This record gives sequence, C-alpha cells and structure tokens, in this order.
Amino acid sequence: MLQGALAGLAAGGLYAVLAVCLTLMSRLVRVVNFSQSATGMFGCYVAVWLSIHVGLPTWAATVVGIVLGTALSALLGWIISTWLAEADIGTRSAVTVAVLLLLISLSFILFGNKPQPFHPVLDGPAFTVGGVVVSQVTVVTVVLSVLIAVGCRTLLTKTSFGLELRALSERPTTAELLAIPAKPLAVAVWAVTGLLSTLVISIVAPSQSNDATSLAMLVVPASAAALLGGFRRLDLAVIGGLVLGMAQGAVAQVDSLSVVRYFLPFLVIVGLLLWSQRKEVWDVAR
Amino acid sequence: MSGLRVQDVTVTRGAGPVIRDVAFTLEPGRITALVGPNGAGKTSLLESISGVVPAASGSVSIDGTDITKQSRVARAKLGLAHIEQGRAVFPGLTVVENLKLTARTWPRVEEVLALFPELEKRRNSPTALLSGGEQQMVVLARAFAARPRYLLIDEMSLGLAPVVFTRLLPMVTRFAEEGAAILLVEQFTHLALGVSQDALVVSSGRVTFQGTAKELLDAPETLHSAYLGE
Ligand SMILES: Nc1ncnc2c1ncn2[C@@H]1O[C@H](COP(=O)(O)OP(=O)(O)OP(=O)(O)O)[C@@H](O)[C@H]1O
Ligand SMILES: [Mg+2]
Repeated sequence: MLQGALAGLAAGGLYAVLAVCLTLMSRLVRVVNFSQSATGMFGCYVAVWLSIHVGLPTWAATVVGIVLGTALSALLGWIISTWLAEADIGTRSAVTVAVLLLLISLSFILFGNKPQPFHPVLDGPAFTVGGVVVSQVTVVTVVLSVLIAVGCRTLLTKTSFGLELRALSERPTTAELLAIPAKPLAVAVWAVTGLLSTLVISIVAPSQSNDATSLAMLVVPASAAALLGGFRRLDLAVIGGLVLGMAQGAVAQVDSLSVVRYFLPFLVIVGLLLWSQRKEVWDVAR
Repeated sequence: MSGLRVQDVTVTRGAGPVIRDVAFTLEPGRITALVGPNGAGKTSLLESISGVVPAASGSVSIDGTDITKQSRVARAKLGLAHIEQGRAVFPGLTVVENLKLTARTWPRVEEVLALFPELEKRRNSPTALLSGGEQQMVVLARAFAARPRYLLIDEMSLGLAPVVFTRLLPMVTRFAEEGAAILLVEQFTHLALGVSQDALVVSSGRVTFQGTAKELLDAPETLHSAYLGE
C-alpha cells in the first residue's frame, strides 16, 4: 500500500498543480477551464515531435513546448476576454470545452492516436524510504505544487499586481473604472496557468499514460482536487491533488480494487458535490 | 480647453433611448447637481460618460480630447472617476487595500485616511464588515486618493442616514475647492443644490433645466414639475 501510495504521488503532484491552475482561473478570470490540461498536452506533443522529427535536444524541445502551451492559453484568454468579457461563467467555460475537444482531435490528426515516445526530462530515483524508491519526478512535482501554491498566494496577497487581480475578480466594472486594465491582467493569468500546466505535464507525462485523451482528461482529477478547496482555496487544492494521487496509487496495488482507481476522481467529485448540497439543504432547513 | 464636455449624447438601453441629446460642460472647481425623478436616466448618463455603457450618438470630451470611443481604463487615466450607484467597495479587500488601488503610494493612503477618522480605526477590516456609511466613505476616499480632475458621484446618500450624508458632503466641497469638477447626482435635492454652483434637471431622458443652483432653489416649481413628469 505504501509503495502504491508513493508511486501515486507523482500523479498527485500533477493533479495538485493543475488544481491550483483551475482554482486561479475560476477565482480570477471567471472560467472553469476544461482545456487546462489539453493546452499543456498539445504543447508537450509538439515538443516530442520537434525532438524526434527536427532533432532538437530534449530540453530545447521542452522549452518550445512550454512556450507554445503558454501562448495557446494566452490566445484563448484573449479571445474570451475580448468577445465574452461580460458573459457569465457558464458561457465562458463552455468555450473551453470546445477547445478541449478541438485540441484532442487536432492531436489525433497531427500525431496519431498512439501514446507519444516521450523523452523523460527527469529520470531516476531520488531516495528510498522503507525499501520504496521515490523518483526524482515525484520529488520535483510535489515540491513544485507546494511552491506554486505558496508563490501564487504570496503574489495575490502581497503585491499590487495581486491586489489588482483580486479587485478585478470581485467587481470587474468598478476595477476598470479605477484604471485597472482588465484584459491584459486576465490574459496574464491565462498565460501563467498555461505555462504551469505545460511545465508540470512535460515533467510527469513521460512516466504516465500519455496518450492525448488521458493527458487532456487530467482536468477531471484536477477538478476533483480543486473542488475540495471549493475552487477558492489553493492549499486545499494542493492537498486534494496529492491525496487523490496517493489514493489512486494505493488502490492500484490491490488486485480486486485496481479498476476503482479510474473511477476515484468521479467518486470524489460526486461525493464532494453531494456533501456541499447536504450543507446547503441543512442551511435552508435552519 | 479644460473641462468635461458632453455634446448631444443619446443613450439607448433595452427598448429605446433613456437619454436624449443631453449637452453640458463640467468646469474645474465647480460642483454641478444633477437631479431628476427615479428612472429619469441619471445613472445611464453617468455611465455613458465613464464608458460603462456606450453612447448611441453624441460625444464626450475631456480637455478637448474626444473620449467617446475610448475604454473605461483610458478614460480613468485621463483623470475621470465615477462613483457608481450602490456601495461599490471590493468586499473582500480591506479598507487600506481599497485605497491602495488608486493611491499608488503609501503616503497618499495615509493622507486620505487622515480625512476619515472612522476609517482609520478599521483600516485592516475587510470592507464587507463595515456599515453602509463606512463603506460609502471607503468609496469616496478611494476616489479622492486617485486625485481625479473629474468626478461623477451617483447617489452617495443612498441608504445612508441624513446625518452621515451631511458629514460626507463637505468632503465633496473640499475636493472641488482643490480644483476638481464634480457632477453630483442626488435624491436629497436641497442638500445637493446647497453645495453646488450649477444645476441640471433631467426628466424622461431630457434636460428640462440648466442653470445655476441658486436659480433652481429660487424656482421650486421647476423642480416639482420635473418630478411630477410634466
Ligand atoms: N441595464 C438596463 N437595461 C435596460 N434598461 C435599463 C437598464 N438600466 C436602466 N434601464 C432603464 O433606463 C432608464 C433610466 O434608468 P437610470 O438607472 O439611468 O435612471 P436613474 O435616473 O438613475 O434612476 P434612479 O434615480 O432610480 O437611480 C429606466 O427606464 C430604466 O428602466
Ligand atoms: Mg440611478
């Protein structure tokens, strides 16, 4: 079990980073970004293609992939903040579902539907606990998820950039009347979350199921983790991601339960939604 | 050419025009009271000046620069501030954070807080926890902190006890004395006219009186007929 849980921690770190991105997006730019991991997947696939067909070194191809993932996300953000600036969160989020499907199809057309021959960016064990080997990928993703959450929190609470973002998320029109540039700030949030997702996917993808659909659908476990923090709290999003990853790893070890791991994110989402509903019913009853 | 100039502005909302061919000029150092019954179009007029809603026709200019097609942010950068109807605080931000948004520097935050002792005491509370009057002070202080040259104030008194409102009015006067041009929309007509030099009455989207505040105070029937929709 411990071995399984530790093995699941790398995926957990990946979920955690994506959950932080989803939380930032929902809080700051009013969108549930269903294409959060799809843009990252696409950037990584282009990186793999560049390293195989153009012969770029892995690191250079990875950098290009991350830049592309960032640019794709920024472009989508620009489109949504230009034409759907006043639209409600449902409409804005629906656009990202379309982008998710578009990117999956596009990667089938461009790269085929087989998993890609990823070159690991990081390789090998970091250390051993109780006879269980912990990989470098695991250490880096977990540390990265915590650093990103702490960094974003600090940025939001301690800098004037963060202050403007919070103002914008509370009253967009009032913020604009105070000369806070809504669109550039929103596009910046899209770009940063695009960068972070592509970065973490390029680290973890080589050691996971990495066909286009699996990578694009990472948004499901990430949503489950973000939901634990109510799409508001970064700390709970990170904890949710890590715990979910470990739980999946642990059940994968038990033969009779191993298929359960694929349903775990859905079970968590349904469970959390029911839990929050129960609380509302309770509040209404009082 | 200093001044904020509104020329033949028409604003359309939903079914039809709610402001028709309105024209006036705001001059530095002067307060203009804008009064009229509910639904007359006062808020819509202010919103078309600051860019919340587009003007269907006509033009708005600041110091000779046409801003009719400019963004809200660009207008704000030219020195225009708009205090919206209702309490436009950022509820999750503290008092100081609200001020920091426009003040840019700490000395300016302290300078503005010094004008509002009530706020000084609650400087680190989230504004959501303040009373209505205190929230309106935050909004006013936040607008002052930016040192706008043109200030549009939409029903500052809404939901406030008259005592609180009469405590805030001198702040507005003081700000005008420092050189700002102010457009003051108010339901407390007499209090507003008392501190204003100029006056505008709108009714059903049209200007029905334009003159000095004193002239309007001396001719109460003009005001009554506007409110009775004649
Ligand atoms: N968002 C909107 N969509 C459609 N019509 C609107 C909208 N906002 C206001 N109106 C209409 O425009 C007209 C003018 O409204 P406005 O709020 O500008 O008046 P007002 O003078 O500010 O009124 P009040 O004194 O009640 O604040 C009203 O008939 C109102 O019904
Ligand atoms: Mg109004």
